[in-house]
Amino acid sequence: MNKKYGVYICTGCGIGEALDIDKLSGVPKEEGIGIVKTHPFLCSKEGVELLKQDIAGEGVNALVIAACSRRVNFDIFRFDGCIVDRVNLREQVVWTHPSTKNAEGGIDHIQMMAEDYLKMGVIKTQKITLPEPYKLDAFCRKILVIGGGIAGISAALDAAKAGYEVTIVEKESSIGGYAAKVRKQLPVENPFENIIPPVISAKIKELESFSNITVKTNTVVARIAGQPGDFTVTLKKPGDKIEFDVPFPLPAEMKVDETGKEYDKEKLIELYKEYNQGRVDILSFDPNGEKFGAVILAAGWRPYKAKENEFAHLGFGTIPDVVTNVQFEELAVKGKITRPSDGKEAKSVVFIQSPGQGGNDNDFSFCGSVTSMVSLKQAKYVREDYSDSKAYIFYQHMRTPGLMENFYKSLQQDAGIFLTKGEVVSVSKNGDGMIVEADNTLLGEKIKVKADMVVLATGMVPVTADDPVINLAYRQGPGFRDIALFDNYTDSNFICFPYETQRTGVYAAGCIRRSMTMEETIEDSAGAALKAIQCIESSNRGVSVHPRSGDMTFPDFFFQRCTQCKRCTEECPFGALDDDEKGTPKPNPTRCRRCGTCMGACPERIIGFADYNIDSVGSMVKAIGVPSENDFDEPPLRILGIVCENDAYPALDMAGMNRLTYPHIVRFVPVRCLGSTNVIWIKDALSQGMDGVFLLGCKHGDDYQCHFVKGSELASIRMKKIGEALQSLALENERVAQFEVAIDEYDKIPKIIGDFVDIIEGLGPNPFKGF
Amino acid sequence: MTDKYLIEPDVNFINDVAGLGGDTLKKCFQCATCSVVCPISPDTKPFPRKEMIAASWGLKDRVIKNADIWLCHNCGDCSTKCPRGARPGDVLGALRSIAISEYAVPKGLGKMVNDPKKLPILILIPAIIFIVLGLATGFLNFSPEPGKIAHTKFFSTWLVDMIFVPLSLWVVVIFGMGVKKFLNDIHQDAVSNGKTNKKELDIKEFLSSIVKVLPMILKHEKFNKCVENKERSTAHMMVLFSFLGLAVVTGVFFVYLYILHVEGPYAQINPVKWLANISGIALIAGGFLMIQSRMNNKDQVTSYKDWYLIGLVLGLGLTGMLTEITRLAHLAGVSYALYFIHLIFVFNLFAFLPFSKLAHFVYRTVALGYAEYSNRQ
Repeated sequence: MNKKYGVYICTGCGIGEALDIDKLSGVPKEEGIGIVKTHPFLCSKEGVELLKQDIAGEGVNALVIAACSRRVNFDIFRFDGCIVDRVNLREQVVWTHPSTKNAEGGIDHIQMMAEDYLKMGVIKTQKITLPEPYKLDAFCRKILVIGGGIAGISAALDAAKAGYEVTIVEKESSIGGYAAKVRKQLPVENPFENIIPPVISAKIKELESFSNITVKTNTVVARIAGQPGDFTVTLKKPGDKIEFDVPFPLPAEMKVDETGKEYDKEKLIELYKEYNQGRVDILSFDPNGEKFGAVILAAGWRPYKAKENEFAHLGFGTIPDVVTNVQFEELAVKGKITRPSDGKEAKSVVFIQSPGQGGNDNDFSFCGSVTSMVSLKQAKYVREDYSDSKAYIFYQHMRTPGLMENFYKSLQQDAGIFLTKGEVVSVSKNGDGMIVEADNTLLGEKIKVKADMVVLATGMVPVTADDPVINLAYRQGPGFRDIALFDNYTDSNFICFPYETQRTGVYAAGCIRRSMTMEETIEDSAGAALKAIQCIESSNRGVSVHPRSGDMTFPDFFFQRCTQCKRCTEECPFGALDDDEKGTPKPNPTRCRRCGTCMGACPERIIGFADYNIDSVGSMVKAIGVPSENDFDEPPLRILGIVCENDAYPALDMAGMNRLTYPHIVRFVPVRCLGSTNVIWIKDALSQGMDGVFLLGCKHGDDYQCHFVKGSELASIRMKKIGEALQSLALENERVAQFEVAIDEYDKIPKIIGDFVDIIEGLGPNPFKGF
Repeated sequence: MTDKYLIEPDVNFINDVAGLGGDTLKKCFQCATCSVVCPISPDTKPFPRKEMIAASWGLKDRVIKNADIWLCHNCGDCSTKCPRGARPGDVLGALRSIAISEYAVPKGLGKMVNDPKKLPILILIPAIIFIVLGLATGFLNFSPEPGKIAHTKFFSTWLVDMIFVPLSLWVVVIFGMGVKKFLNDIHQDAVSNGKTNKKELDIKEFLSSIVKVLPMILKHEKFNKCVENKERSTAHMMVLFSFLGLAVVTGVFFVYLYILHVEGPYAQINPVKWLANISGIALIAGGFLMIQSRMNNKDQVTSYKDWYLIGLVLGLGLTGMLTEITRLAHLAGVSYALYFIHLIFVFNLFAFLPFSKLAHFVYRTVALGYAEYSNRQ
């Protein structure tokens, strides 16, 4: 692409008043750019017309627009086929810093800042190219649904209605899952008051009317290889051992010898092969495999298995009439509820929501609102079966979210249902029945009630706790990494992106994400189906699915210089790279979310994107003018701020909108994710004489907020390591720091930056300045 | 031995409470807003939160034998503020109604009083007694001699007293039995729930406590603390004082008749007659005020037991005053007929006193006295 540059400076919104625009216009001219124009209102019709005229008339195709933040008016300043860079003079310069145009002492700091940013914009435009989409050779639009329960069936129906071909695989011999094994279920629609017959049969019937849905029972996934849009899936019968069973990575403890030293590459490959004997490597595709474009994981849950004597104080395991809610449901399906011990009518049933003991009020593990509401439902069974029956619910928490409050209210009205908060102390035998004792009840004291049966509200465990299920032929392993953090629920970023897993193209629905009612599951499945469709309809055009939806770039590798260090393969939060035996990474672009973590990780700096790479960002850093003693008696300091564009950059903009100020010696460079920060930029900044560098990004750790799951965490690890490098340069560790900020914490920006500037001022100027 | 902590909910009791205006009982979710907003609930072990759950769990003994349900004056602050529409005020009203039936024997009569279908029987009973006894003794004269209207010519004062004096004694006996049991029950309940520091029940001290609380009751001090339905206190006070006034009038005229041997009707200038007339008017006005306040109050349910009593109060006042007015207007037939009806109202009031809502004046007085005596904690 032959670039023809044009620089356009808007003088509206206070920019013209605060800055010397003529002087600013001189900056690109010095760089040899002929077209430099100013406009008082660039985002107006006339302003945009000016740009369009230049594009059409002058052939301008690389525009530097020095005006407001790129987070606003992005639609107005979008010109197809043109590179557009936005220089944020408004939020980051004039709105956050009082003008120093006529400052005493003659140094116009704000003008220097604006000029730096304009130079950075110009150099960036020079360094980047227009992206071209990555197109798969073969593309499949079919959707694979793992799990034939209510979640899988609902998702399949939704996808099929949207015109997609769907295959459901179900490990059992029939579909329907748990939804088909209940007597009645919780309400799914207004007025949400009564238990209703299971809705699953109607769903199954509906399913049969769709010719674009294939159901495969007695089937599980052996492996899913490839990438979204082109998955190669091997299916098998449950329990079968086949060569396309997915291989597992070596566990950490097997990678080291007795002394704790890691084996060399050859030995590791040998051990890996031994460990996965009988299974072919992930890079060999099953020639008989079925092709799919996206996967919906709706494998659901299994009942919690109590450990031995875990609930001994509740008689579980010793008294046959103490059962779990799932066992109770099985009894209820058979007919009127009778005691397992002697078949006598169960007319007094106690439902226990929390195991008690140890002074805590925790519910049973893996419990939630569903188990609360199931207890209410099952209490109703007792009442329906016998007119003189009584059902007691002892709870520490009674959760009936949303309109299910109507359900609670309606059940509460039943004269034979008794509810109280309280700690169940014991269940003991009493003749042929039982006595349940509870303490601290709402009745003001300890109470005891007679029970024919006791039901424990044990929880719903996601099946991903036992097994990867999804069996991805990915180098990072067949399952999802680090989901133990979420009690093995399949999740990646619960708050922001509920349907996303850590694997692009795989979308979770239903109880595999968290325990849900059937109503919630049906809705959840619609969400996952839409995500799967979004994935197909993005991958086919070569654009990113999420969260950089529509991004046409993808990481490009300069393999000649790859040292096969595997860092990119290991650090990618989404498992997008599969390395071969030598360790050369094999990119799978449609798995990629374009965060650039690989680019940040690569010590050889051979990974980059068309519009975002080591050189483009590095050149921006180098474009920042570092005042030296040659020009100033007391040269002002310069600090580089590398800011995450997902949370930190908008927070900076908001600080601007709220006219908060922070020191003018800081220059920001936005990055896609802190994980894409390559340490070379920091080294460059320091060696060119900048006095400090800070990274501003999302919270990391257990409750991370990073859009790319691991980015800010990986950056923090790299920053710790850079400390050693700094010491070898005789620079203080404190000159490099990382701060966390959430998108709404714009008010903290001045303090975060101010405190860091104070530290740097305390340390004094960088000794390399002026070299 | 029965286990103190073992509870066995009585579902029938829950249904009974629902039938007596407490159908919202099960809506309670135990937030205790009621106990907080109640202006007269004590700081320790306050009501009605604990009564709400005990009742919704069908624990009859815990609520019926509990003096706290009588400390409530049903002003309705709790019902207005209840976030779930559980109307604790009405539930406590229903509980009191059950308690009244529980302590009065024979229990069948109690059931009749609370059953609207049995109302004709309650009216027929006195009518039949009056006629049968009157004809048998000749004290009921269906053709009273003309001239100056004197109701004794039609319905002899002998017949009145022959019926009402034993009836009063019967009522006192029934109340006596009920109150004795009631007092023991509430004492035991207070002891086992730590609401009192008294171990043994000292009747003498208790009686002096009753005397101590009487001025407070007469002044409606507790009732006046209500926020939501303040005006009810006025109506209640009017009715209460008119009953007291009429009791005084009855007593004085009893003396007139049997000791001074002066027969009625008595002159309008007689100060006792003034008291009688004022009381009669106050009774009617109070009755109407009660109806008005109940009609206007959306937060409170008015059940049959309430209408029965208000009807009785109003009927008593109206028939009484009309009997007098028609007498002064020389409408002999009408006046005699009204007098007969008036006596049916009086009979209902007296005979069913221990069974109707009106019995609250005895139980609430006892409960208030006991609260004073027991240093309610």
